[in-house]
Amino acid sequence: MSLTSTAGYVARRAAQRERVRILYRRALKDTLNWAVHRHLFYQDASELRERFEVHKHVQDPDTIDRMIEDGEAQYNKWRHPDPYIVPWAPGGSKFTRNPTPPSGIEIVYNFGREDHLEN
Amino acid sequence: MALRAAILRHVRVPVKTLTLTGRKSQPWGSYGSSLRFLSSHGDDHLSKDEVIERVLSVIKSFPKVDPSQVTPDVHFQKDLGLDSLDNVEIVMALEEEFKLEIPDKEADKIDSCNLAIEYIYNHPMAG
Repeated sequence: MSLTSTAGYVARRAAQRERVRILYRRALKDTLNWAVHRHLFYQDASELRERFEVHKHVQDPDTIDRMIEDGEAQYNKWRHPDPYIVPWAPGGSKFTRNPTPPSGIEIVYNFGREDHLEN
Repeated sequence: MALRAAILRHVRVPVKTLTLTGRKSQPWGSYGSSLRFLSSHGDDHLSKDEVIERVLSVIKSFPKVDPSQVTPDVHFQKDLGLDSLDNVEIVMALEEEFKLEIPDKEADKIDSCNLAIEYIYNHPMAG
């Protein structure tokens, strides 16, 4: 009985750690979205880190759950409406632009000045 | 005149095929690796050495890391004394370096140098 509850506790803590890591990752990315310049981002990022570090030693799982809920709610509230998306990714500026030509088609890049034309 | 044109046409055909086959055997080799293609579907792949070098330089420039300890097989938390949030920051720095967007769940799994190199090298869009 105690063994299963210990295992359950460990699994629950592991799940909480993963949630916190992903929350921190998303929040950090969002901080970068909100910051107009790098030097502003560094300040904001260390403040965000501080907010996580303050609760580093909290042990009670229920308190942690509540804090994670709270953090995720804040993240969702302050999420950037137009985040940066890497160009090739869905929603990015280059998504499905300039797809590779079908195989068998050769493109000559040296416009009009190929060797075999002999001027 | 007609004879000359006919001869010229006859002569030109082999030259044309020669240049074409010559180009095919050496596809864009003369341009070097500095040429970036317009296609957004990653026809230029990074070499493994370049990936290793750039990953290591990102990790070495992380403020909490001692640069002399960084090797390609280093584990971020066990060997470099970082915590899980530092790990998140390193993965984000790597994403920016290689212009990638790694899904959250996959990024969470990257916890060592080896894994990062492997992931980035096998990613088709790493640039």
